Amino acid sequence: MFKKILFTAVIICLFGGAALAAPGVYYLRAGTTTKMMPDGQIITMWGFASDTSFGAKDGQIMVPGPVLTVPADQASLTIYLDNDLPEPVSVFIPSQIATTVPVKFTDDKGRERIRSFTHETEPNNVAPVMYTWNNLRPGSYLYHSGSHAAVQVQMGLYGCVKKNAVDAKGNKPAEAYEDLPYDAEVVLCYSEIDPVLHKAVADANYGPGKAVTSTMNYQPKYFLVNGQPYSNGQLPVSAGTANDRVLIRFLNAGLETHIPVIQNIYMKVVAEDGYPYNFGGKLQYSLTLTAQKTKDAVIVPAAGIYPVYDRRLRLTNASASPGGMLTFLNVGN
Amino acid sequence: MNRMNSKTIMWLASLAMVLAWIFPGPAQAKIETVKGPTFNLTARDAHITTPDGGSYLMWGYALNGGTMQYPGPTMDVNEGDTVTVNLTNLLSVPVSIVFPGNVGVTAIGDSDGLLTKEADPNGGTASYSFTAARPGTYLYYSGTNPSLQIEMGLVGAIIVRPEDYDPVTNKRAYGHADSLYDYEYLFLLTEMDPVVHEMAQCGKWDQIDLTAYWPVLWFINGRCAPDTMANANTPILPTQPYNCLPRMHPGDRILLRFLGGGRDLHPFHTHGNNFLQIARDGRLLSTAPQAGGGGPGANLALSDFTLTVAPGETADAIFEWTGEKLGWDIYGHDVNDPLEPGEYAPDHGKPFPVTLPDKKVLTFGTAYSGSPFLGLQGDLPPGEGGFNVNAGYFYMWHSHNEKEMVNYDLFPGGLMTMLIIEPPGVVIE
Repeated sequence: MFKKILFTAVIICLFGGAALAAPGVYYLRAGTTTKMMPDGQIITMWGFASDTSFGAKDGQIMVPGPVLTVPADQASLTIYLDNDLPEPVSVFIPSQIATTVPVKFTDDKGRERIRSFTHETEPNNVAPVMYTWNNLRPGSYLYHSGSHAAVQVQMGLYGCVKKNAVDAKGNKPAEAYEDLPYDAEVVLCYSEIDPVLHKAVADANYGPGKAVTSTMNYQPKYFLVNGQPYSNGQLPVSAGTANDRVLIRFLNAGLETHIPVIQNIYMKVVAEDGYPYNFGGKLQYSLTLTAQKTKDAVIVPAAGIYPVYDRRLRLTNASASPGGMLTFLNVGN
Repeated sequence: MNRMNSKTIMWLASLAMVLAWIFPGPAQAKIETVKGPTFNLTARDAHITTPDGGSYLMWGYALNGGTMQYPGPTMDVNEGDTVTVNLTNLLSVPVSIVFPGNVGVTAIGDSDGLLTKEADPNGGTASYSFTAARPGTYLYYSGTNPSLQIEMGLVGAIIVRPEDYDPVTNKRAYGHADSLYDYEYLFLLTEMDPVVHEMAQCGKWDQIDLTAYWPVLWFINGRCAPDTMANANTPILPTQPYNCLPRMHPGDRILLRFLGGGRDLHPFHTHGNNFLQIARDGRLLSTAPQAGGGGPGANLALSDFTLTVAPGETADAIFEWTGEKLGWDIYGHDVNDPLEPGEYAPDHGKPFPVTLPDKKVLTFGTAYSGSPFLGLQGDLPPGEGGFNVNAGYFYMWHSHNEKEMVNYDLFPGGLMTMLIIEPPGVVIE
């Protein structure tokens, strides 16, 4: 039994999952990390880590944040947030119902304006701040900071939260949504980096009267899938074995529209924003993934390698090709 | 030989534009295609021109060792064909072709690329073959450094005709009757950032940064308006053979084949009526997309007036126009006159609700026939009109992103053409 738990834990770590405190409970910590781009550029990022408990600080800050998996039989998701960043942060899940208390501030013209979609966690908080979704719907969703979102989301405070309608049990496959069974799954989370913005934030040069005053001139140079731009020799992503029903969860955490195209197979696009289509889905080889959009698609592939690339042609690392949003799915025998 | 000065060139360019503009009458209204199932393409370079006087270095797929063309040849094959595309590469970089939506492509070539086999530079070859398993509208483009090579022009369209298609008696895009049409038109949409092409012209490849991409030219089938309305294969545009001039009679069904060939999304607007989108990515919008004629058809079709044509995607739409709900008779009929073919009967004989102003106070457009009635040439002052030889109705079809209706800042132009509603009896070919 212990071996099995250990094995599961290893698997979870391998796939960037989070160490579970209790089903549906996560201790997330917002903090700073860096990412090295294939051309050697080192980018300051803000990300989330999953700790074993509040204050343990034993998780690793990553971008995207850890994949939060809520068991099908677990109605609620609870996140306890710890904030190591210099400004208040929060957690928000578009398309999921929660009681939110927007945070306002008064600007220099005396206007009351929204700063955060929901209550915030102050920097260096001494007690965990709780975020709860009491009736989490099954599906694929993004979670992201609801505070100062124009800056914090593009800095890296985003991740995937997912829940099955039915979890796999014995020989019975998991169902992503009711009556939508699958045998293997892949999460493809798209995002971008504008190094100028990241440097300005890292150097405290972002804000009114500073070197960079807004995200208006956003011009990303790096294009990430699951936090990594493509570079030569990158390993393919495991996507089940031949004739599996492979569920691909597409999420766009970036600010741009991306259009993943899969080569050599059609996908059945079955859900959008966490809602399954009521007509069974559409056969497509491409899908339009606008900012903050999630879509679920199912393929039933033969064994082989299936390239998935952004047809908006974000296929460079800065000016170098190949790079960017290119992924190879590896379907085993 | 005297060198032409830039003024002469500009004057010639303007003349070319005017010529293109004033001879629309006989312009072909069909999709120019090349029949398969075997195609011999050559990747090579040449220049294209834009109506603002621009000239840009492009890479393109040429047919049978001929002239480079933008976009590449529109391949015309039949469902079930074994399609073979042989590629010879005369460029100085490796090149390839991918066929999104056509699965099971067998590729052989000089080198392994990331997405497919590639033809080596300076004379290398590659060959691709696949079964055109499903009818529909498809793209093909370079799978080698696509960010640059598609921008440089290595993109084209494939039409796969359904099994029971007949160019005269059974014009349909898919197996189902929902895709029946009278005329078909291609809309391969692309855009261009001239800086990329200027850098390429100067050999400054290392200075091309596609993350700074800023398009200022927009194309349908490789031409910017008003060149979109000139004849196909006009000698003044030797590397841009394809036009886009949809024409129809009232009551006709026309098939619009849309392809997102570039890297940006373009909201394409059909003035005059909604279209019905019946397919996407070569599959009928249907609860049974792979079913043939006996299936449920395009039961998920979508009626809209603007189609977001997204890069890499294709979409097929049916457009119809009868003048329905204008509230007046487009022929100026008396109630006792017979109906015209395709006429919207409830408005038959209803009077034109506007008293036309005196011609002396009007400013005329080149496409005004002098009369509000379809097929009727009215009196025009000397020198006016002339563009509308059949007294048809003109509807501008264009990108709803209005900034894309310019040629490098000059309005009108860009991603725009005209739909002409021709009177019954006018031959469209």
